[in-house]
Amino acid sequence: MELPVVPRRPIDLDPLQRILEERYRPQDHQEAQELIVGACQEAQHLYGWVPPQAAHLIAEHLGVTINRVYGLLTFYADFRTQPPGRHYLWLCYGAACYVAGAQRLIEVLRDEYGMDEKGDLADGILSVNVFNGCLGVCDLAPVGQLDHQTYVGHLTAEELRALIERLRRNDGVEGSHGGSH
Amino acid sequence: MGVLTDRRAFESYVTAARSRWERLWSGDQWVISVGISECSIAKGALETYRHLELVLAAGHIRAVLRRVGCAGWCFAEPFVEVKMPDSPPIVYGWVTTERVPELIDGLRRGDLHADWALGVRSVEPWRGIPPLGEHPFLRHQHRILLEHAGVIDPESIEDYIAVGGYGAFVKALFEMTPEEVVEEVKASNLRGRGGAGFPAGIKWESGRRTPARPKYVVVNSHEGEPNVFKDRRLLETNPHLVLEGLLIGCYALETPYGYNFIGGEHALALRRFQRAVEQAYEFGLLGDNILGSGFSCHVRVRTGGGAYICGEGSALMYAIMGQRGQPRTKPPRSVEEGLWRRPTVLNNTETFASVPAIIRNGGAWYASLGTKESTGTKLITMQGPVRYLGVAEIEMGLPMRQLIFDVFGGMRPGYRFKGIQTGGVSAGPLREEELDVPVDFDSLTSLGGMLGSGGFVVFDDSVCAVDFARYLVAFSRYESCGKCTPCRLGTPALVEILDRIRYGFGRPEDLEIIQYASKHIIELSLCGLGQVAPMPLLGMLERFRDEFVEHITERRCRAGVCPLESAVAVR
Ligand SMILES: Cc1cc2nc3c(=O)[nH]c(=O)nc-3n(C[C@H](O)[C@H](O)[C@H](O)COP(=O)(O)O)c2cc1C
Ligand code: SF4
Ligand code: FES
Repeated sequence: MELPVVPRRPIDLDPLQRILEERYRPQDHQEAQELIVGACQEAQHLYGWVPPQAAHLIAEHLGVTINRVYGLLTFYADFRTQPPGRHYLWLCYGAACYVAGAQRLIEVLRDEYGMDEKGDLADGILSVNVFNGCLGVCDLAPVGQLDHQTYVGHLTAEELRALIERLRRNDGVEGSHGGSH
Repeated sequence: MGVLTDRRAFESYVTAARSRWERLWSGDQWVISVGISECSIAKGALETYRHLELVLAAGHIRAVLRRVGCAGWCFAEPFVEVKMPDSPPIVYGWVTTERVPELIDGLRRGDLHADWALGVRSVEPWRGIPPLGEHPFLRHQHRILLEHAGVIDPESIEDYIAVGGYGAFVKALFEMTPEEVVEEVKASNLRGRGGAGFPAGIKWESGRRTPARPKYVVVNSHEGEPNVFKDRRLLETNPHLVLEGLLIGCYALETPYGYNFIGGEHALALRRFQRAVEQAYEFGLLGDNILGSGFSCHVRVRTGGGAYICGEGSALMYAIMGQRGQPRTKPPRSVEEGLWRRPTVLNNTETFASVPAIIRNGGAWYASLGTKESTGTKLITMQGPVRYLGVAEIEMGLPMRQLIFDVFGGMRPGYRFKGIQTGGVSAGPLREEELDVPVDFDSLTSLGGMLGSGGFVVFDDSVCAVDFARYLVAFSRYESCGKCTPCRLGTPALVEILDRIRYGFGRPEDLEIIQYASKHIIELSLCGLGQVAPMPLLGMLERFRDEFVEHITERRCRAGVCPLESAVAVR
């Protein structure tokens, strides 16, 4: 399993600006409103969260108020308005994973690693998105997806601990979150 | 590829695509197809693909290497289909990257690796490998929506057209009036696949009847339930099929505006559907004056951001409009006032995907499949410790027992069947003795279960009924949009009572409070989420009452999962 190591950079709005100009060109105000969520998703893909500067850029570009943008950022579970930890684990909490023991994994994260409400581990090594849905690979249950690419299946509590240790050791200089698909 | 400007241009493209397709399969090169979808990527299918590229090049094998979608047999992924010049296509399962050289070298030497094969694509066995259709997972399936799943490249409109794609849309466009299309869908008695089972033809008809314009036709591909993954698989494996269904829907409603709302988590499904839309524009199957017919159609793809409630019709429309996805009171119904306060017809992904075959073969043909009241086929996903996990397509009415123990292969060694949760988070479970129920809309409902969107969860003795009920109700609590009080305050109350029981502080009267509180939540909630949120709990309580009682009176959890002891110790 290879873990990507991408240096963490200060927020550079240029790539977002380019994407908005290329692909988010509403014909009218109606379409502009339809595009808010998609534009926020682009920002989240680029930065791993939606920084305030990005939210403002989106509002300005689409001609909607910043309140509309924040209204959605705080409504949807997928968006983060705070920077994430160095790595990102999308942990499935669907029924198959529940039946196979996902609950135990969440307890380990909470009790042993101080995972908070937002899913951030105490030492900032990992942000966990406990997904209230199904990742669609139930035969690997309980399963997670690490840093947007590597699936970790049939996870036990020990393996989860080992994974976090690995992330800590590997983390040398910089970790990655700003995943891309 | 230039834009197809009239029907004749389309037909001659079809002829060309067909003959290219036939040449592909009858040539003297190898044709190797790898299933690439979210489920197989998770198991290393991309690595398998890359390794195949290397091994074929190194061995100087003249081969066409293709990417296809998920064929439903997720349990056997990564899968690879190999057609050699003198053989029928052989489907191999579990071809992880380290098996690639062995498989290819073996095949060159004439060693077929029959033990890795799921079957051959032919009616006869071939050199000891049985036909694919005889595999236990496939034997009881009836594949219409999945007919080309794992066969065509989901990112190739040419593949889709070569196997008959867009033929139904073109037929509707040139040979049928919009009214006739609606009549055909009505005759098929196709019922909505998103959960409630409302007849699609009747919805389309009332959408036509509303005079206001513009109108919208919307595909619901949100799929946020924790128990199901069929719609995204369909979009990943055959996105053009859904798009064709949507086009036919727009034609029937005489509107140029189609939408697909796809859950933001389903990245590959989203990408492949977007790609399909782009290709259809390039071919002139979307756009203005399609094939010179005078009918225009434009499709927009929109996504949500991880809120289950956005799958509910009115919430979904707010979500598209860039508002927080919260349901509203009805009436007005969406067919009168939906998206942008215009008449809107909303159907599930699978519902739309069923339409092309109905237009091609007729509503009567479709109605002859399945049962009288639940016609046609249904995609099913099953979770839990069964042997063949994946997506199956069955004729409605197949007994549940056969579905679990034949199609999905029954329990894995070491697991004993305890129950099966039906209807996602919206209904109750069934026990062993109830499994002879036919899998269709009405039969399951009559037992307090639900077909829902076709996601079932098998559970065994290691799952505690109280704890599982808590999980299911807690899901609804978490996903409640908070707009109305019975749901916002009622579901946490249920979870609290269940936690009391799980921790060993339950009181005998709690079981009555559950009934009482549930009644209020069901009757007073504004939308479907609250109205069904207590159902899994009531179902578990009815089927496994003794376990609830044990927790309360003996402080015992027979599955050993509830934190009873520690609670007692704390006390
Ligand atoms: C809370 C909630 C979530 C829903 N989620 C979905 C969904 O993800 N996909 C879907 O097709 N229908 C979903 N539905 C049902 C839709 O409201 C609607 O009935 C359906 O999309 C209509 O299409 P159909 O008639 O083809 O089934 C949901 C309903 C509720 C109450
Ligand atoms: S029932 Fe629940 S989800 Fe539905 S509107 Fe009320 S609070 Fe929102
Ligand atoms: S429930 Fe976790 S992958 Fe489906």
